[in-house]
Amino acid sequence: MDKLMRNKKAIILFIAPALILFTAVLFIPVCKAVYYSLCNYKINYQPKYIGFKNYVMLFTKDKTMAIAFKNSIFFMIFSIVTQLIFGLILAALLTNIKKGRNLFKNIYYLPCVLSSAALGLLWMFVFMPRLGINQMMASLGWIEDCTMGPEWLFNTDGFIILPIWVISFVALWQYVGQSMMLYMAQISGISMDIYEASYIDGCSKKQSFFYITLPLIKPMVATAMSLNAIGSLKFFDLIYNMIPEGFLSHKADVIATHLYTQAFKFSKLGYGSAIGVILLILCLIMTVIINKFVKTESYDM
Amino acid sequence: MKMRKILAGILSMAMTAGLLAGCGGAAPADTAAPAADTGAATEEAAAPATDGDVQEISFMIWDDLEASEDLITKGYKESVDRFNADFAGKYHCTPITTNLEEYYDKLNALVAAGDTPDVFIASPGANLNDYAMTGVAAKLDDYLDADGWKQTFTSDAVFAGGTYGDEGGDGPGIYAIPLNIAAACVFYNTEMFEDAGAAVPKTFSELLDTCQKLQDKGYTPITISAGTAWCLSMVAGYLCDRNGLNLQDIKDHKTDWKDEKVIKAGEQLQELSQYFQKTAAGDDNDVATAAFYNGEAAILIQGSWAIGQINGSCAEGFADKVGVFAFPAVDGSSADPNRVIAKSDSLCMSAATQYPDAAIQLIKYFVDDTASKYTAEIGGKIPVTSVQYDESIAPPELKYVMDVFKNASSTFGFYNESLADTEAGSTFDNCFVEIFKGEDPETALDPIEDYYEMNVWE
Repeated sequence: MDKLMRNKKAIILFIAPALILFTAVLFIPVCKAVYYSLCNYKINYQPKYIGFKNYVMLFTKDKTMAIAFKNSIFFMIFSIVTQLIFGLILAALLTNIKKGRNLFKNIYYLPCVLSSAALGLLWMFVFMPRLGINQMMASLGWIEDCTMGPEWLFNTDGFIILPIWVISFVALWQYVGQSMMLYMAQISGISMDIYEASYIDGCSKKQSFFYITLPLIKPMVATAMSLNAIGSLKFFDLIYNMIPEGFLSHKADVIATHLYTQAFKFSKLGYGSAIGVILLILCLIMTVIINKFVKTESYDM
Repeated sequence: MKMRKILAGILSMAMTAGLLAGCGGAAPADTAAPAADTGAATEEAAAPATDGDVQEISFMIWDDLEASEDLITKGYKESVDRFNADFAGKYHCTPITTNLEEYYDKLNALVAAGDTPDVFIASPGANLNDYAMTGVAAKLDDYLDADGWKQTFTSDAVFAGGTYGDEGGDGPGIYAIPLNIAAACVFYNTEMFEDAGAAVPKTFSELLDTCQKLQDKGYTPITISAGTAWCLSMVAGYLCDRNGLNLQDIKDHKTDWKDEKVIKAGEQLQELSQYFQKTAAGDDNDVATAAFYNGEAAILIQGSWAIGQINGSCAEGFADKVGVFAFPAVDGSSADPNRVIAKSDSLCMSAATQYPDAAIQLIKYFVDDTASKYTAEIGGKIPVTSVQYDESIAPPELKYVMDVFKNASSTFGFYNESLADTEAGSTFDNCFVEIFKGEDPETALDPIEDYYEMNVWE
């Protein structure tokens, strides 16, 4: 290995494919996006440098950006907290049952591998005023008829509007399996000797969870939280498919849908790039914060 | 070992070749389109070429040609099929279809990628501006003037929406060919009106009275979609116009969006909205239209393209129950009450197309006698050419729409397509959705006012 590491040609040869790919599909596009964010650039026109005007507009005049920012932050906090709690609970339960573990694991994980676009449409039908839940509530006699039910996807009252809550729950349903799998992978790596030793010392199952399992899976908690934060900040497909464009006057927009609207619907590629750059910075900040505050130590398990 | 290396080498080459083959490669040539009537100018069709000479063109449209129940869309499919059959071995058209809501997003993405479809559909106004003023769409005057094609249209006025002056990407001229005209009207269920003792309203207050009578009789008076915002904004556009708003005055900043005429239109929309179906906020256009032809509501305010939708989707005989009237005047307003919102589907040709002759031939198939007859007799839309069609077999609603159109003093476009740009149109739509939901019009109009302050009046 040492000999190989001294061979510069070999190092270059092995790094080159990844470096070229990274540069071509990530680094150059990001650099171009940063440049375009400083331009007035509409589809079919040449970009024209305008300095930080797009950013000034974003932070001072764009009311939809403020709404999108609020919704994205809510969505991120909701996802981090709920997926941490429910992912851990499911992982702890499934690692402790003897029968049906694989069955339930697959059931919980299944939504993760399904298309978000298809799921978005499916859930949209479930929450439509004349279909799904409202129809069910009407048939159970809870409401007079389906049109009297809650406007799950169209009520715009409140600081965080009902559609954002609804979509947050759908996202939790879809992605909790992913968190669960990450935690399960980490939990299954904990030696049974540690648990057995704790039981001999009189530890209950609950205590072993809090004093053994939880501390030992902290590195995975940090990883899962980072993934959740980044995933929820750039969340797009469920919202785009559950709230058709034009509905709700952009009150259910998140940063990614606002980017899409500005860049592709209104052809403002420069402005859309500025939103993209903000999104990138937010993701980086969140990753740094989570890694800084969720202190992880390595244990020999 | 050596054998394995050779095998690995061959496999790698095969994979690379496969990859490259996937990147390029022309689309398959003709795919045996069904034979159809050939009422088109097919003089060029007579000279079939070998497979290698087939000129492949793409055509992008905002509906699914295969799955749509809309009779107008079915007519477009027939035109493409006839074109492919008549020019088999010479030209071939492959449609690119998407739904209306995502149409312009996808078209813009293709344009940005330098892959503009050879022929694409567009609405005159802000949307068409994006292609005609930037050199994406080709100027079509030379093609129109050749072999008397332009004379087949009813008048030069039909080209108004696609005509540009110096701002045109290739100078003054026509950049879009209209296919048909639709007028925004009020469709009503004559049986429900009769049952409720309601008469066709001439003024806004009469419309409210009519709605009240229908409601008292247990009917849902109006079905509309606020979810698909342009449906609601169409009504808002009518109310603004009937109150005397002149969009040019706003553009020139002689007045603004807080003009009392706009505020009044907002208040009237709120008055009218008490008669909308309860789920109007969440229903999309298809659901709202279906509520009309399923007999759940008495009135549908919609463009006359709805005739094709209604007749393509509902049971036979419903068309006989449908009446049409023009949007009523506003009481006490001096504005012209006979103006009608009109809209045409228009086709553009990409300025970058490799095969302009094929593209023009395709466009001609959409407005030839066969297509124009279909437009009127089956689709129920107003043709733009001087074709003689059989009125006795055309949908009865078309006659009513034609009456509204004949009595119109002038036409104007959808507000959301007539403003400064697509974002302004979208902002206008959203403002009136907020008004519909109960926000004070004065406050709800802030976004469009701010948008004009920042982007139009600067």
